[in-house]
Amino acid sequence: MKWPEPVSRTRRLSRTSLSEKAAQRLTIALLLTPAILVILLLFMGGLITGFLRSLGYFPLIGLNDFNFAAYTTIFTDNGFIRSFILTFHIAFTSTLIASILAVASAMLLRPAFRGKRFVQFIFSLNLTIPHLVGAVGVLYLFSGSGLVSRLATGAGLIDSPAGFPAMVNDPWAIGIIIQYVWKEIPFIGVIVLAILLSVGEDYESVARSLGANRWQAFRNVTLPLIMPGVVSASVIVFAFTFGAFEIPWLLGSTFPKALPVLAFESYTDVDLAARPQAMAMAMVIAVMSSLMILAYMKVSRRYVRS
Amino acid sequence: MTQVTLSGLTKIFDEKSPPAVDQLNLEIESGKLTALLGPSGCGKTTTMKMIAGLLRPTSGDITFNGESILSIPPEDRGAVMVFQNYLLFPYMTIAENIGFGLKMRKVDRKEIRTRVTDMLDLVQLPGFEDRKPRQLSGGQQQRIALARALIVQPNVLLLDEPLSNLDAHLRDEMRELIRRIQTEMAITTVFVTHDQEEAVVLADRIALLFDGRLQQFDVPDAFFESPQSVEIAKFFGGTNFIPGHYEGGEITTAIGRFRAPRSAVDGGDAVLSIRPEAVTLGSDGGNSVMGRIRSHVYVGRYARFRVALGDIEVEAITDPAQVKLFNDGDEVPVRFDSNKIWVIGPASSQP
Repeated sequence: MKWPEPVSRTRRLSRTSLSEKAAQRLTIALLLTPAILVILLLFMGGLITGFLRSLGYFPLIGLNDFNFAAYTTIFTDNGFIRSFILTFHIAFTSTLIASILAVASAMLLRPAFRGKRFVQFIFSLNLTIPHLVGAVGVLYLFSGSGLVSRLATGAGLIDSPAGFPAMVNDPWAIGIIIQYVWKEIPFIGVIVLAILLSVGEDYESVARSLGANRWQAFRNVTLPLIMPGVVSASVIVFAFTFGAFEIPWLLGSTFPKALPVLAFESYTDVDLAARPQAMAMAMVIAVMSSLMILAYMKVSRRYVRS
Repeated sequence: MTQVTLSGLTKIFDEKSPPAVDQLNLEIESGKLTALLGPSGCGKTTTMKMIAGLLRPTSGDITFNGESILSIPPEDRGAVMVFQNYLLFPYMTIAENIGFGLKMRKVDRKEIRTRVTDMLDLVQLPGFEDRKPRQLSGGQQQRIALARALIVQPNVLLLDEPLSNLDAHLRDEMRELIRRIQTEMAITTVFVTHDQEEAVVLADRIALLFDGRLQQFDVPDAFFESPQSVEIAKFFGGTNFIPGHYEGGEITTAIGRFRAPRSAVDGGDAVLSIRPEAVTLGSDGGNSVMGRIRSHVYVGRYARFRVALGDIEVEAITDPAQVKLFNDGDEVPVRFDSNKIWVIGPASSQP
C-alpha cells in the first residue's frame, strides 16, 4: 500500500493562491448574508425609521420637517425625567443585588459537596422560566392579597392584608426588582461559577498561606479575578432590564412608569402626534443599551487580554 | 527556627480509596532543607498542604516546635507555600505581588516599599517593581513567587516542585539561589518533588513516599548506598537485583557466591543489589564471575553494557573508552566490588 505523501504546512500555505483566499472570503460572506440581511433590514431598518420619526419625519401623517421637538418635549417633561430615573433605579438596583447574590451563590456552589449536581440544577432552573411566569409568581406572592401578605396576617405580623407594604405596582418598583433579581441571579451566577471553577482555588490558597484571612483572600484575590466576568454579565443584565417592557408593565406603578412602558403607551396613543415622542424615548433606551454594550465589550476585551 | 513534626499524619479523601497520606511520622529538622520525594500521587503535595493549613488532616498531628498547629488557620501558621506554577496574582504589579503578605498584615506602605526592594535585590531582579507578571519569564516569575513568600519571614517555607518547570541552566541557578537564601535565612524548608535528582542536589534530608507511606527518611547518599528496599533502589536508578541467600557476610546466588559486608538484613533470603556504576568489566579477582556481553550503548560521558551472567542479566555503566575494549558476544570477567554490594531484604517482605 502506498501512503500519500505528507503535505507540509508551509507547502500548503504557499500553494494557497490569492484568488483562492478571495474565493474563501466570498464563501464566508455569502454564508453570512442571510443573517446580515435580517439584522440590517429588521434591526437597523427599524432603528433608522425610529430615529427619523423621533426627529419628526413621518410623511404618512403629514410630518415632513426634521426637528428636535420630540426630544425637547420629553427632556423638559417632568414625567419623562422621573420615568428615566425610575428605569435607571430598576436596572441598577436589580443588577447590583443580583450580582452580589450571584457571586455569593457561586462561592457557595464552588466546593464539592454531596448532592451538588442537584443543587446546581435547582439553582439554574429558573433560567428556563419566562420572565412573564416570574412576574405572575411575584404577583401571587407579594401583592396586597398575595400569599406572603396572607401568611403575615395569619402569623399576626400585620392586622390585615391591607397593612402589607406595597410591593407590587409600588413607586419603588420593589416587585419589579424582586422579579429581576430572582431571574438574573442564576444567569450571573452560572457565569461567575464557571469562572471560579476555571480559576481554581490555588490563588486563594496562596493568599491564605501568605497571611490573608478568608475575607481578605476573597476581597483581594478572588474578587478581582472574577470581577471582569461579573461586570460583563451585569452589563448584559443592566442593558436588558433597562429596555425590557413586560415586567414593568405588569408589576410597575401607574406613575411614574418605566421608560419602555411609557414609550409603548405613547406609541399606541390615539394621538398620532405623540409618536415622535415615543420614538425619541425608544432612542434614549437604545442609546443606553448601546453604551452598556460598548462597556461590556471593553471590559470583556480587557478580560480576554489578561 | 522551627522544628516541624508530623505524627501519624493521615489524609483520606475518599473512604473507598486508600489514604492519600498514611500514618506519616516525620521529624523535619529546624533550619534544614527537607525533600518530600515520590512519584506523582504519592501524597507529597497533600502532606505539604496539610502543613500549610490548606488541607485538614483526617487524623494525626502536626507540631511546630512541639506545639500542635492544627487549630491555627493557615494565615497565622507562618508556613508559606510557593506553588509549582508560581500563581502570581495576574492583575497586580510585581511590587504588589511581593508586598501582598505585608499588606494583609497591615504593614505601613513605606516599609512595604523598602522591603519589596530588598526582596527584589535578594532574588536578583532589581527594578522589577512596576512590571506585570505576564511580562516575566517562568524563571523570573518563580523568583518573584519566592520573594513574595520570603518577605513575610515565614517559620516554614514550603516549595512545590521548585525546579521542575525550569530549563536545565535555570535549574542550576535556581538551586543555588534557594540554597543560598535558605542557608542565609536559616528557614526550615520543605520541598516536594517527583525528581530524585532534584531532591538529591537540593536537600539535606529526603523523605521518600510511596502511596502515602514513608519508605525511607535519610540523607541523600543513603538512597544510593543503602536503600531499604528494592523499590527504593529502583526509584534511585538501581537496576541490578539478584536474589539469593545471605549468611555470615556472604550472599549465595544462582551465579555464585559474593562477599557482601554491607546489608540491611541479618541473614536469610535476600537480594544482592549493586548499582550499574559499581559493576566493573574485565577485571577478575575476588567477587567476580564470567559473563557474556549482550549489547552496549555509547552515551558519550559513559558507556552502558548489558551483560549475561548465566540466566541473569546485569547492567554496567563504565568509562566510555571501554567500548573499544569489548565487543558484543565477548566473554568477560565481571566484578562486584564487595564494598559496593548492598544486601536488601527480599522484595516480598517489604511494606
